[in-house]
Amino acid sequence: MATGAVAALRNMKVAGNSKSLEEARARVFDFFKLACRSLPSVMDIYNLDDVVTRSQLRSAIASQIRKNSHVTNTKVIDMLLFKGMEELGNIVEHHKQRHHIIGQYVLGKDGILQDLSPKDEGSSDFLKNFYSGNYF
Amino acid sequence: MALRAAVLRHIRVPVQTLGLKSNPRAPSGSIRLMSSHDDHLSKEEVADRVLSVVKSFPKVDPSRVTPEVHFQKDLGLDSLDSVEIVMALEEEFKLEIPDKEADKIDSCNLAIEYIHNHPLAS
Repeated sequence: MATGAVAALRNMKVAGNSKSLEEARARVFDFFKLACRSLPSVMDIYNLDDVVTRSQLRSAIASQIRKNSHVTNTKVIDMLLFKGMEELGNIVEHHKQRHHIIGQYVLGKDGILQDLSPKDEGSSDFLKNFYSGNYF
Repeated sequence: MALRAAVLRHIRVPVQTLGLKSNPRAPSGSIRLMSSHDDHLSKEEVADRVLSVVKSFPKVDPSRVTPEVHFQKDLGLDSLDSVEIVMALEEEFKLEIPDKEADKIDSCNLAIEYIHNHPLAS
């Protein structure tokens, strides 16, 4: 299953514009499935088995997709899909390192901020915004 | 190519059926240990495992999950959630459900039915 997904990623071509919202929607689901099917190999590559479960990562992918659920412009959806595909390709081809994956998908965006100790509570909002804005 | 196709169409290789009787070492019972495709799942087992997968889904209230439950109508999930559940089921039963079938699976009943009828489910 995993190797099949990786091969599918390799052979991935940039699709043309979606003609309707329905088509774009179907593409999003296809992308989600492809991402889910490549999870086993991703967990192998980055040794994620002891930090996170596959279903947690699946939910992380879903929440990333859901973040853009308000978008109705098909061109924007296509662009987001392209970026997602690029990200997935980078992850599967090991162009990232373990802490990238952990920081971004295991801890999530709030992860670094949650880990602050109590004495950091008074730290400036500017820095917090900087961290969260600069983290992608 | 035409010649090859024509030849292939007419050649028949006689295949001998090597029944179990001809193999003295074959076990007499129907249990074949360590063979992968023989473990047909019983419907109850499939139902149990499907329900436990659905219950363990974070957004689902486990007490509301019954075999008849519809993902979107009864559990308040959206379409992305139901795809996520289908992917979780794929992982649990080590299947790969094709897109057309996966789109149809929108309730526990259908999922149990599909997986029970799938020859490779394990």
